[in-house]
Amino acid sequence: MRLTIAYDRLRLEEKLLLEEAKAMNVEASMEDVKTASFDLTAAECRSDVVLQRCISHVRGLHVAAAYEGMGARVVNSSEVTRLCGDKMLATIALAREGIPTPRTRIAFSAEGAMQALDGLGYPAVIKPVIGSWGRLVAKVRDRDEAQTVIESRRAEDPYDQLFYVQEYVRRPPRDVRVIVVGDRIAAAIYRYQPDGDWRTNVARGGKAEPAKMSGEEQELVLKAARVVGGGVLGVDAMETEKGMVVHEVNGTVEFKGAASVTPGSIPKEIIRYAMETAKR
Amino acid sequence: MKKVEVECEQCGGQVQVPKDVIAGEIVGCKDCGSEYEVVIGAQGTIELKSAEQVGEDWGE
Repeated sequence: MRLTIAYDRLRLEEKLLLEEAKAMNVEASMEDVKTASFDLTAAECRSDVVLQRCISHVRGLHVAAAYEGMGARVVNSSEVTRLCGDKMLATIALAREGIPTPRTRIAFSAEGAMQALDGLGYPAVIKPVIGSWGRLVAKVRDRDEAQTVIESRRAEDPYDQLFYVQEYVRRPPRDVRVIVVGDRIAAAIYRYQPDGDWRTNVARGGKAEPAKMSGEEQELVLKAARVVGGGVLGVDAMETEKGMVVHEVNGTVEFKGAASVTPGSIPKEIIRYAMETAKR
Repeated sequence: MKKVEVECEQCGGQVQVPKDVIAGEIVGCKDCGSEYEVVIGAQGTIELKSAEQVGEDWGE
């Protein structure tokens, strides 16, 4: 079985995956997709399975589809990448399967966005549908703040004209990041919001600690991973008075924060899962 | 770990690159902070090009 790790910016995660593959005697190669090209009509691929690890969502989605077109199995698949990379599509998938998720509306103009926010009530959260690390995510306390944020969106960018707005969920000063590999939980951490920021992303300085989850919570997270198609995923959830709600599922999960505070080897689980996927 | 040094095109300082570097790895100039992506040529030569800026679709 030949494994390719496809990437566009080499992070610690990709290096750890390569090291683990070598340690497991897997025939592995690295592919910097920025310096490669793909023959979409050849239907032949040097790899049996590809770990798609691009930092750019748009690039990663198309890289996954290109490898699939050439006959390789891709983790995560282009369909999983498509759903997870667009917050609106992920919300639809979660809600349709009954996964508790924050109340969310989508609007396609500034006027529609204000209508959606008024319907949700304040405070509320405005997020870009594509993007990560908490970037451009805004908590608005009232209508005036909402108008300021909405008006700052650039009219020339089509994605800036998708207004994904969500209720602000009251939670402890932390959320839960669960790394799911196939049908198993590889790691679960609490991410504490740093001083002066309401967001918990580790990329924003959020601190990580091992999380304790009930059996019911674990089931919920595994189901959330299944409804987007399964694979190697980062499920983000919040603890509320009414139980856990899932607000995001990440399709190209970063795990160095979780790996530093949890036992077990996340890279080993990912490589093992990739090899199992290749055999299916 | 052995390193090779490549000149920083911004400030002329020396950017250190590990000899076992992987193509696409990001290295920085300690003098001016510029970030570079490592390009490995067909003959195994190590070159640097300016790293891509963070895109709006970057992330997890």
